Amino acid sequence: MLDALRYEWTRLTTLRSTYWLTGIGVLCALAIPVIAGIAVSDMPLDPESLATGLNGGAAFGIPFLAVFMAIIGIFATGHEYRHGTIQPTLTALPQRSRLILAKILVVSGVTVVVTVLSVALNALAMQLLWGDVPGLFEDPLRSALVGYLAYTLIYTLAGLGLGLLFRGVPSALVVIFLVPLIVENLIFGLSFLPSVDWLVPVVKFLPFSSGARLMAVDLSAMDMGPGMPDFDYFGRWGSGGVFAVFAALIIAAAWTLFKKRDA
Amino acid sequence: MITAKGLYKRYRKTVAVDQLSFDVRPGVVTGFLGPNGSGKSTTMRLMLGLDHGGGETLFDGEKFTDIRRPMNKVGALLEAKPFHPTRSARNHLRMLASANGVGEKRIDEVMELVGLGTVKRKKPKGYSLGMAQRLGLAQALLGDPKILLLDEPTNGLDPHGIHWMRDMLKHLASEGRTIFVSSHLLSEMQLMADELVVIGRGNMIFNGDVDQFVRDFTQSTVIVRSPGADGFVPALEGAGAEVAKGKDGELVISGMEIGAVGHLAFTENVELSELSTRSASLEEAFMSATGSSEEFIAAEPVAAGAPAAPAAPSAPATPSGGTENA
Repeated sequence: MLDALRYEWTRLTTLRSTYWLTGIGVLCALAIPVIAGIAVSDMPLDPESLATGLNGGAAFGIPFLAVFMAIIGIFATGHEYRHGTIQPTLTALPQRSRLILAKILVVSGVTVVVTVLSVALNALAMQLLWGDVPGLFEDPLRSALVGYLAYTLIYTLAGLGLGLLFRGVPSALVVIFLVPLIVENLIFGLSFLPSVDWLVPVVKFLPFSSGARLMAVDLSAMDMGPGMPDFDYFGRWGSGGVFAVFAALIIAAAWTLFKKRDA
Repeated sequence: MITAKGLYKRYRKTVAVDQLSFDVRPGVVTGFLGPNGSGKSTTMRLMLGLDHGGGETLFDGEKFTDIRRPMNKVGALLEAKPFHPTRSARNHLRMLASANGVGEKRIDEVMELVGLGTVKRKKPKGYSLGMAQRLGLAQALLGDPKILLLDEPTNGLDPHGIHWMRDMLKHLASEGRTIFVSSHLLSEMQLMADELVVIGRGNMIFNGDVDQFVRDFTQSTVIVRSPGADGFVPALEGAGAEVAKGKDGELVISGMEIGAVGHLAFTENVELSELSTRSASLEEAFMSATGSSEEFIAAEPVAAGAPAAPAAPSAPATPSGGTENA
């Protein structure tokens, strides 16, 4: 297993894309508190805006770091097929399960380290711009940040699984961008229509939207208020569990097929 | 030593590899020969566990997928360019080496050995096919393995490169290694291989040494030109020979030694203007052995002659006028 880990580490660190994807992800996340700091540094920091600054606006719009790390995850498996390196890889390391496990472990390790560094970097930027980062290690901010770490990790692993499932890069990229941005938003939007209100109970099982609840500071703020459908969302970790199960199912399917299919 | 037993692979309705069993001995180069699409690459992929199918291949008694750090035992070169385009050649080898406990020194050593020492930090996307094949060989040699499996390693090499590859493989075999190398070019195998495994449409056609292959799949024929050729035919057939008429009226005789034909002519009082033997080349042997098993058969150009069949070889076009018989 050590050989497999060494292999995967060398594979990851000898690719230029690893560095620029990580760099862009970290810089995009950093840009949010820096821009906000320059524009509105006199505004007091509540836990909500603190979380937004620390996770680079991941809960609103595009979770930059998670997306770029997910591309690294897709490349970890998809590149092997795109460039045919799966053949030398499997002649160097024919134990397929060991290879996949090593990929999961190394990519996860890198994702965790990069995410923690990115949050630390953002905290440093906010410290410099606002002069203070209050309540960093206290709930609810602490839970929201741990949730952000889990969200980025699960997002990356979903990418890794999709790259292996589709045995290529383009289709995995399409799924990882299309599902959260279009499919899930469409289902969420449609569930407001009375004619398709059977979609309402589905919403809490939408993986990417559920995953985003991991990063929320105040979960009740995400409810729609009176007159709106009651989505009966799971709590922070329950919703995270939905996202994790989604990623686990993809990886399990991809892993099983990888063992069965011709390389 | 490689022992393959009952290798079998089917894709939906097509059987790509059909119950192939063979041994590859150490110390010699074993050629793996077959026309395009005959299942050579699939067989090699089956042997390495890249493709799933029936049968079993043992490398010095072990299945490939059971070998820990396999590059130190079995080196493989399969596809022509299996490299990430922007990872330098040296880093590509470093990555594979890291899974097999191979040191940095050995990486530089093999890169020098295959003649890529000066371009080892370059990206493979700028490599020609010939350079990519050299990198592929470097990859196969990385763990200094006792067994090598190479799929069409001379593809894309220039004549100098082919010569180099041939000498390299012969040298590696002379060190007691087991070398299994595929090709669809017989001329190449003729110069390189000591033993042959010949397949067509996934079926075993021949397994043995090169000379045996020629003996099995070619027939030496005796050529006779004579003003009285027509009259000589019944006597030849009566003596058990098979006789075919050549283009210029020559007799192409099989199943009879040249001495016996000469003696028969003498006893039958037949005048001869030519008595010679003709043995088919290895190329012809290959054509006759695999002719019926080609996967993709192209239309023959109108003017070209058909390839020689073993039983009735077509007549050679002789430049000399020959003797016309009435």
